[in-house]
Amino acid sequence: MGQYHHDIDDILADEELVPAVFLEAVNGVGLFESNDTNRVEPRSKVELPFWLASELHLRHVTSVTIPPCFGKKTQEEIGADGAHVDLRSRCSYFYELGCKIVQLINEKTIGSLLLVAFQTRYKEVLIKAHTSASALAPKYLSLLTKEETKLYEAAKSSTEAFKTWRMGGPRFQKASVLGRKRKPVRE
Amino acid sequence: MESEGTDDYETLISTTDADLLKRSWRNEKAAPEILQFQSSLVQRSREQIQLMEETVEELIANDEDPLTVSLYQMDIDRTLFLLRSYLRTRLQKIEKFMFHIQKAEDLWARLSRQEQKFAKQSIEDLKTHLEQSVLSKLPDRYQSHLKQSVISEEADMGIFFYLNCTYIQICMFANNLISMFS
Amino acid sequence: MYGRKASQLLKEFVSGEPGQLTGFNNDVFAQVIEECDGNILHLQALLRKMQEEGSNNQTNKNADHFGALVHHLSLVRNKRCLMAYVYNRAEVIQNLGWTIKHADLPAAVKEKLSISENEYFGKHSSNLQSYMLDLNLDLAVDMVPPKDPYIKVRVLEEIGEVLLSDQIANLAMHSILFLKRIDAESFISQGKMEELTS
Repeated sequence: MGQYHHDIDDILADEELVPAVFLEAVNGVGLFESNDTNRVEPRSKVELPFWLASELHLRHVTSVTIPPCFGKKTQEEIGADGAHVDLRSRCSYFYELGCKIVQLINEKTIGSLLLVAFQTRYKEVLIKAHTSASALAPKYLSLLTKEETKLYEAAKSSTEAFKTWRMGGPRFQKASVLGRKRKPVRE
Repeated sequence: MESEGTDDYETLISTTDADLLKRSWRNEKAAPEILQFQSSLVQRSREQIQLMEETVEELIANDEDPLTVSLYQMDIDRTLFLLRSYLRTRLQKIEKFMFHIQKAEDLWARLSRQEQKFAKQSIEDLKTHLEQSVLSKLPDRYQSHLKQSVISEEADMGIFFYLNCTYIQICMFANNLISMFS
Repeated sequence: MYGRKASQLLKEFVSGEPGQLTGFNNDVFAQVIEECDGNILHLQALLRKMQEEGSNNQTNKNADHFGALVHHLSLVRNKRCLMAYVYNRAEVIQNLGWTIKHADLPAAVKEKLSISENEYFGKHSSNLQSYMLDLNLDLAVDMVPPKDPYIKVRVLEEIGEVLLSDQIANLAMHSILFLKRIDAESFISQGKMEELTS
């Protein structure tokens, strides 16, 4: 059981929808709400979560194609002003899904797109995390993918830890499970 | 000690138990996997702490200068902290990676006797909990810990993320990207 | 879509603050189990149908075979999500054991645990206690490197007279006192005191 994959982000990345075409007919499945017959016909164009699409792709039941978030439009925008592209609304697991897709279907352009996007945006993430006042952050944060948000928060919390260390202050704290807020002191 | 050369003094300093403990603690903190338990070092450190505590009690009994006493006390506190933090770091790794550690013989052999006992019990408790909460409620052929189901050709493929440190994860992520695509 | 509900459980888990638990979602959890039961029924029906028609599952891969495959994959997916949900919550519960004794768990936190989680918390913290007992060393103190042996604290809740390692102290609400760091630490982590810095 130790090998069981318990990483939540990996599981959620697998939940992202990807376009696929069925190559075979499939009986007895209630995959799509619009479908009353519980049968999927060959050549049906659908969107499936990656966990299902990839397994079916490997068994030649479906053929997965590249999700639109890695398409030409994103490539152009990343090339123009990569740091300020809203990647989250396209796919909050942009990098993770990209890596998975590349491993599944042999596709040449996604790799360099991911790398360029990550490099340009990483720089900006760190600059923002170290400098911006917290009031500015929400707007910028809403552009970031899950992985980038984690990087932002890691950078932010190390800056804060450094400040606390320099300024001194209480070092002992209440157990986090009990909540952050202090109980109101009753008079 | 004064009669000895500086070199000898340096060697002596760098190999005191306090220093060894600090080194082991630092290694354990920084390493993603569990390291060999420093059994005799822990033993010696505990004896030293006890000795120092006795000294402090004597000093107090003899009405020594409070400053001297508190210097001793702070030294004890520091050693105790290192010791506790060392043991705690190991125990937390065991909590996190118990199934992995149990399966890998070389890792298992690095635990102290008490740590092995703790690990065994932890595994038992967590297994019971997972069984009660999830596995017993699933259809018969999907109740195994080890396999996804009886008709799966292979055991679950996922790799247990062995690294917890955010920094390492970030580096790994960036490295993966770079090695995959450049 | 199969597996959607199970992923909602995980989304709910990650949306909480790190180190905190949201209530165990019995409703959605039961719905996922129900979905699994549905999957296995369909799976078995499809396999039976194939047997009756005499088609060999391995060589003749027809629409029924692929239907069974989809149900199998969905079951495995749901299993992975449920296991991850319980497992990741169990990790938070393990950490709890370092700061709070099972008996001291506030009702508000206890309510968030499932019956099995509550049991697990009890077992795990007593496992931790017995390790410390074997070693004769309390590992739940000294969480941060020591500076001074004594720290200044304010009492936030009426605690009353307590035997500390060097004195008997009356820990009345609002009082400010110097305590041995080791004595104060557990009160602070329980939220009954706060550290004051000058």
